[in-house]
Amino acid sequence: MTKATKTGLWALGGIALVVWPWLTEDKFLHHVGVLILLTAIGASSLHLIVRTGHVSLCHAAFMAFGAYGSVLTVMRLGLPWPVGLLVGTAAAASLAAMIGPIVLRLTGKYFVLITFLIGEVVRMAIVENVALTGGSNGIFNVPPPAEIFLSNRAYYYLALAFAVLSIGLCARILGSEFGRAMNAIKDGERLAECSGVPVVRFKVMVFIIACALAGMQGSLMAHYNKVLSPENFSGIISLNLVVMNVIGGMSSLAGALIGTVFMVMLPELLRGWVNLQQIFFGAILFATMAFMPGGIIEAARRIGALLRTVRAPAGAPVARPGAAE
Amino acid sequence: MLDVLSRLDILLNPTVLGQVVVNGISLSAIYILVALGFTLLFGIMRVVNFAHGEFAMLGAFAFYHLTKDFNWPWMIALPVGVVGVAAASLFLEWLVFRWFYQRMFESMIGLLGLNMMLIYGGVLIWDTHERNIPAVSQDVFMAGDVIIPIDRLIVVVIALAALAAFYVFIRHTRAGLAMRAAAQDVETAETQGVDTRWIYRVAFFVAILLAALAGSLWGQIYAVSPHLGERPLMMAFIVVILGGMGSIPGAALGGALLGFTESVVGTAFGAAASAFLSFGVVILLLVFRPWGILGTPES
Amino acid sequence: MTTPLLKVELLSKRFGGLQAVADLSYEVGDREILGIIGPNGAGKTTAVNLVSGVIEPTSGRVTLMGREVTGHKPHLLVESGLVRTFQSTTVFAGSTVRENLKRGAFRLLYPGFLATLLDTPKARAARQQTEAHVEEVMHWLGLERVGDQVASSLPYGIQKVLGMGIGLAAKPRIILLDEPAAGLSAEETDHVRDTIRLVRERGIAVVVIDHNMRFITDLCDRVLVMAQGRELAHGLPKEVLSNPAVIEAYLGKRYAKAQH
Repeated sequence: MTKATKTGLWALGGIALVVWPWLTEDKFLHHVGVLILLTAIGASSLHLIVRTGHVSLCHAAFMAFGAYGSVLTVMRLGLPWPVGLLVGTAAAASLAAMIGPIVLRLTGKYFVLITFLIGEVVRMAIVENVALTGGSNGIFNVPPPAEIFLSNRAYYYLALAFAVLSIGLCARILGSEFGRAMNAIKDGERLAECSGVPVVRFKVMVFIIACALAGMQGSLMAHYNKVLSPENFSGIISLNLVVMNVIGGMSSLAGALIGTVFMVMLPELLRGWVNLQQIFFGAILFATMAFMPGGIIEAARRIGALLRTVRAPAGAPVARPGAAE
Repeated sequence: MLDVLSRLDILLNPTVLGQVVVNGISLSAIYILVALGFTLLFGIMRVVNFAHGEFAMLGAFAFYHLTKDFNWPWMIALPVGVVGVAAASLFLEWLVFRWFYQRMFESMIGLLGLNMMLIYGGVLIWDTHERNIPAVSQDVFMAGDVIIPIDRLIVVVIALAALAAFYVFIRHTRAGLAMRAAAQDVETAETQGVDTRWIYRVAFFVAILLAALAGSLWGQIYAVSPHLGERPLMMAFIVVILGGMGSIPGAALGGALLGFTESVVGTAFGAAASAFLSFGVVILLLVFRPWGILGTPES
Repeated sequence: MTTPLLKVELLSKRFGGLQAVADLSYEVGDREILGIIGPNGAGKTTAVNLVSGVIEPTSGRVTLMGREVTGHKPHLLVESGLVRTFQSTTVFAGSTVRENLKRGAFRLLYPGFLATLLDTPKARAARQQTEAHVEEVMHWLGLERVGDQVASSLPYGIQKVLGMGIGLAAKPRIILLDEPAAGLSAEETDHVRDTIRLVRERGIAVVVIDHNMRFITDLCDRVLVMAQGRELAHGLPKEVLSNPAVIEAYLGKRYAKAQH
């Protein structure tokens, strides 16, 4: 694919993303759009953490900090939403800065378990702290960022702006020399450290940035849904974000985005059959991990390689990816 | 501080104390049953069974239907139900589990998928309303001020009997020995002539048996619904982390600690405090001693 | 003698009840090749881990070019000019040779967080210089032809050379090699030995840890013999080879007696 073709496709995609909400008056479609964009912020930021070799099951806890921080700032202190957004993001980042250096020293399964427990503790703390958070009843009548954003379509554009910023930041980090260091950490921490990479410091930096982005998503979602409840931040929500990464393919950012679209659209396709949805999710999760751990992206790659061998005439040498020639 | 002490005062009442002790033992025993199965699957097949709670749920439903719909006496319904669930689950072993042996990370997420399928499959079959298994006995046992419901005592007796049987099995039978060898080192066990495929099936059967039994007993204390398995799973995690993943004595110790903590702290300070305490301790443990009280650090 | 490049003084490490290394002292000068040898279990790898920051010493001092670096983490030591290789997991298996070396050149490549995100002129300059440097390292290690090959597909001997290359990519003043010839055929061992000599020619001091007496004495200017965590002998290869205590440690009392 030539560079011109690539740029062309990107431009086309960008135009499509900006224009399509005006091609329909269907509020529900706009709503799905907002959902996909906001969820993508969470899935892509979690992807950053996954790329250092850690699977976090408490990402929703940081969304909670962002959401409650923002909502309380706006509703209790009467400050405008941008301040609420900053407060929420800062709250999430602070929590990450506090627990990051401790939990990131744990490997593999222990990290998964401790983040699972931390997520539960945060949720329980929200439920118990009724005076501050409204407990399990939550908080109602959350105001939108501004009057204009009461319409789903308008919120779509707000979400689009933040999603582009956030996903763009993640992509830039992964494509930079910092991203190269992250890859080295994932492939071999000890070797990376002995190559000069400050492993713990970099892991904590990634963790703080990723959790701050999750906090940002939390604020945007809370002021969109107009309702806040601890159930929005349970272990299942964190798990869904992990599933998006896994189903799409954990080795690339595109995988997280594909997984997001898949997981958000699926319930809409199987509307009204809630139990069937969950059973279907479960089946896909099992099948993916059992037979195609690389996710949709790996499946696409394999199909692509298969098509290439089919197209090449018998006997002709087939180019292997990464071949010296 | 005075507040804490005054809350603990409630335990000095003999009636309450009696209940707390019986509760503590029954909870501990049930948690140990769940945790043992979980730790077996991890120790031998290196599988983190995120669906473990669902087999407890199935055990509870089997017990429920056999006593409620078939009207079998509980002494027959219990073993039949439990063994039936374990035997039927061998199908799931073939269909789902065997793809994840020795693949820990994939097992975590893949079995999470199985967990979802079983919970919502259960909701489709049984819908979410709670059911109650008829109590195996309505009598109470009285000794002075201490009042203990007999059905609780029966739960305790059955659970302890099962644990004793498990202990004998693991220490004094060929299968038990083979399983312990496989838990130490699968490859070496294979070269010693142990058929790993067979051992995996035996371990799976035993693990599910224990979970189903735990679920049936749990159903005596709490209500039965497709979401029954969620708490036992959480408890299994905590117990296994406390005691050390893959360690059988660890599961026993962790289960006892958790059960009694929950009973004592829950009665004196409420369920939320008990949950915070357990979770807090386990989080600290993971930070400073992730291999648990009785586990060994991986090199 | 001018300030030695690397100075180790009374380095010790205790693991609970076990004294793994006790009072180890040595110096390495510019362009020197020092060999550390000893039977298995002598504490050689622990000694390397102590100096390279992988483990913290219980007591003792490590000085690099006059600056104290005792207990510094590995990435700080790389900044200061000390790198090391590993006996196993020598390379990033799933990456190409070129990528492996680029990762090794991290300290040359990384311009700072914001700089790399914004791709500033400083970042671009660092990238260009590092790319040129990596090509150069590939060239004098003889790896140019396999530059785009995945490391795990290379023969084991070449992987070991690549492992050295990862360390050399960081432009160190001194490199510690942990059992660089372990598991290699005679031919591959010779190739490793010649490569180490090339490294010294380029002005980099080398500390080689191994248990193969012949390999070490052929290659090194000086040899330090370890046994049970301590220094057993220290000096020129010839002296050390004929030291009765050394012969005894390696071949047993009867052989040592037979020599006399």
